[in-house]
Amino acid sequence: MTFTIRQISRTSDGREIVRASNVDAPSIKIGRDAASDIHLADLAVELHHATITLLADGQVRVTSETDRDFALNGRSISSADLDAAKGAELVFGSHRLTLSKDGGVIIIGVERFEAVSDSAGEKEEIGLFTLNGLLAGRRMQAWSFIATVLALFLAWPIYTYATTAGLKNRTAGFHADETWNSGPLSKAHAKLANDCQACHTEKFVAVTDNSCRACHKNDAHDHSTKVRLAQAAIPVDFGGKVKSFFKSTFNKPEGGCVDCHTEHEGEGYLQPTKQAFCTDCHSTLKERLTDTKLANASDFGTDHPQFQVTATVKVENGLRFFRRISLDAKPTENNGLIFPHDIHLAKGKGVARMAQTMRGEQGWGASLVCKDCHTPSKDGHRFQPVDMEKDCQACHSLGIGGNTLKHAEPGRVVAQIRSFYASGPAYRPASLGETARRRPGEYAAVETAQDYAIGSRIFQGQASEAIRGVFAKGGACYDCHIITPTPSRGAPVSFKQVVQPARYMKKGWFDHNAHKEETCESCHAATKSAKATDLLLPGISTCRNCHVGENGGKLKPVKDPLASSCALCHDYHLDTKAPWRSKLKQKRLDRRPKAKTTIPSRN
Amino acid sequence: MATQAPRRGAQSGRVKSDGTHEGFLRHKSFRWLKIAFILTTTATLGYLFIDVKPRPNGGSWYGYLLGIVSTLMIVWLTMLGVRKRIPSRKRWSLKGWTSAHIYLGISLAVIGTLHTGFQIDWNVHTLAYVLMMLVILSGLWGITVYAKLPRQMSLNREELTENQMLEGLRSMDRQLHDAAQPLDHRYAELVRKSLQEDPFGGGLLRRILGLYRTSKARKTLAQLSEEIAFRPGEDNPIERLDALLERKENKVRRLRKHLQYKARLEVWLYFHVPLTFALIAALSAHIVSVFFYW
Repeated sequence: MTFTIRQISRTSDGREIVRASNVDAPSIKIGRDAASDIHLADLAVELHHATITLLADGQVRVTSETDRDFALNGRSISSADLDAAKGAELVFGSHRLTLSKDGGVIIIGVERFEAVSDSAGEKEEIGLFTLNGLLAGRRMQAWSFIATVLALFLAWPIYTYATTAGLKNRTAGFHADETWNSGPLSKAHAKLANDCQACHTEKFVAVTDNSCRACHKNDAHDHSTKVRLAQAAIPVDFGGKVKSFFKSTFNKPEGGCVDCHTEHEGEGYLQPTKQAFCTDCHSTLKERLTDTKLANASDFGTDHPQFQVTATVKVENGLRFFRRISLDAKPTENNGLIFPHDIHLAKGKGVARMAQTMRGEQGWGASLVCKDCHTPSKDGHRFQPVDMEKDCQACHSLGIGGNTLKHAEPGRVVAQIRSFYASGPAYRPASLGETARRRPGEYAAVETAQDYAIGSRIFQGQASEAIRGVFAKGGACYDCHIITPTPSRGAPVSFKQVVQPARYMKKGWFDHNAHKEETCESCHAATKSAKATDLLLPGISTCRNCHVGENGGKLKPVKDPLASSCALCHDYHLDTKAPWRSKLKQKRLDRRPKAKTTIPSRN
Repeated sequence: MATQAPRRGAQSGRVKSDGTHEGFLRHKSFRWLKIAFILTTTATLGYLFIDVKPRPNGGSWYGYLLGIVSTLMIVWLTMLGVRKRIPSRKRWSLKGWTSAHIYLGISLAVIGTLHTGFQIDWNVHTLAYVLMMLVILSGLWGITVYAKLPRQMSLNREELTENQMLEGLRSMDRQLHDAAQPLDHRYAELVRKSLQEDPFGGGLLRRILGLYRTSKARKTLAQLSEEIAFRPGEDNPIERLDALLERKENKVRRLRKHLQYKARLEVWLYFHVPLTFALIAALSAHIVSVFFYW
């Protein structure tokens, strides 16, 4: 007996089954041929693949019978001499042969270690027909997505908030909480885009008015006290109650700046405030706020009270007393002056002729017009007070003996007159000249000579007479001022204080600049006014010739209507400046055809 | 999952009396389609007629309402995954649940879009919106394959189970292995190659598109078989091999077709499910951020 061949197979639960057979021959064949001594049913094995021969020294020789090798201890070779006693492992195709020696007998263990085919191999049958293994698992993907999104868009921004909270100015560049930005900021606030905490100072607390007031220190006043506002508000309906509930639950105070001034609504200018924002309360204000002096108003074109202007009632001790009076009540303006507009503006009469005379000197036209006396303020919104020396004296001269009486200073006027009389007889104006010859056309010289002649005649007497004369009826001051005599020698008369208010409508805004297309007369009936107490302000009816309500509401036909919401004239924040207007709207106005200017500034 | 393929009488328990099967799309005469339609119409009309100032916005009261509704819908839609794993109860059949999942999911696209107020930007809010839309789109993809493929798959399977398919293949391999034993090396090698071929092999694209080359072994054998066909003699082992290989090829083709259908039925879920979780994460970040910087 030379060889023992042990065919090893395994049951499904892995138990070994060994079938041994003995071969008594000097050499044995290994192959797929069924007649082989070691039959390997293996398609990777040749029919006669190799031969094992017993050598004289007890070793065995394994020789490949074809050009295909076999593996010995993991190396591919074609022939080898082995000492079976030391053991060896040969591999043919999917079969493993183990060599050993037991008492002169070569024992060859034969075992298949690979399945017959791929499909016959042990496969993970659950999931075999699915996409498992071909794609990253859904669970794994889901977790990695969750981790990535939460890290980038939740943890990182919160970290940014925590590390920059309370900083006055953030560094430039990207900050993770910008990924929370719900939309671009308006132009005015665009520079705050990377500094969320400029407004969002407290976590989980809505933007408070304090954030706004950090920058808007002087341009935002309360509309009214919170109590009055609450009284004036229309009662909340069910929806309003629900809203309030949510607002209080989620830390969003009501009545804050952000209620109206919403942000993150896209680049561009802030949106103009809608009329409804005012009229929600003001259309029926009196019903709830019974003590209010304000009349109800729901639309400029159809439902708005007549303007109430601050008419001067009296002036005392330098103080102007005024009262808000409806223009319908035809208020008078007791400003302390005597001035007839009609005479000054009349065409073809004395004043007009004088204006024509002085055309070359003053640049006036055929008659006086408003701008000849009234100068717009620097900003063009209103007019400067009329100044006697600048605006009247060209005609109403206060000259005396080559000097000019000091306007608005009666004490000095008295002193000037006294000094004039102390210096001798009537002063002969230098322009008359001792030797001057009269030439044709020298009208002014003729007039001066006449004045001199009259003056010499009048002021022949005492200075005190002249002083009485200048302040009395027919005197230079009496024409325009209301004068009462006093016992004082230094200031023998008392002038009624003169006031020239620059603004009559304190609750509304009017800008002359915006009305350059109109003539003065289209609103101010100055040509028909004979008294300075006439308040030459136009009523709402005049405005409604052009202005209609926000949605076009009107009471009469308007040729070229201009939609006007409350915010055109009224400022919610109640300061003295112009109401805020959306630049968006302004740009649209700027595109309108240029005005035929009638209020040029004076040279 | 429900299929629309008509069943034979043997399965009458799952068939309505008139013989037509009511799939998840037609469930209860389109009950959920009607509900979804009412929901989207109401939301759209609300959006058009409620004058939100200064402009439609996710932060207005109507915007919050739409946002809350959308969030609740997303949470509920996600619950399909949980419901699927719980054995069915009488009410709320899985089919009804699926039907509602589909139609409410589609209406979410409308409600979610209205919630944005069409304000789209590069931020976490839009991220959540885009993820939501991707989930819905992948869901629509899923609906189309589920509406179409099961019928084709059933035709291809011819009522074989997957295990039967696999067993059939193994049987062919065993027979091939045995038949090739007496043949010389050239043929044995060809058969061996066929045996070692993995019918489940290939990547995702190959499986979905069905891009398999005809095996080289099969082609060579076909050629050999042609040569031998004119020789006299009977019971040619090569002819037998050829016949066996052809049968195996058919089985492999059917199996791969089955795999292709299954892959197409399944691959959308690899987008739908992970993206859903990404959406839930983004949605959480969206909600927290809104209240954080309130």
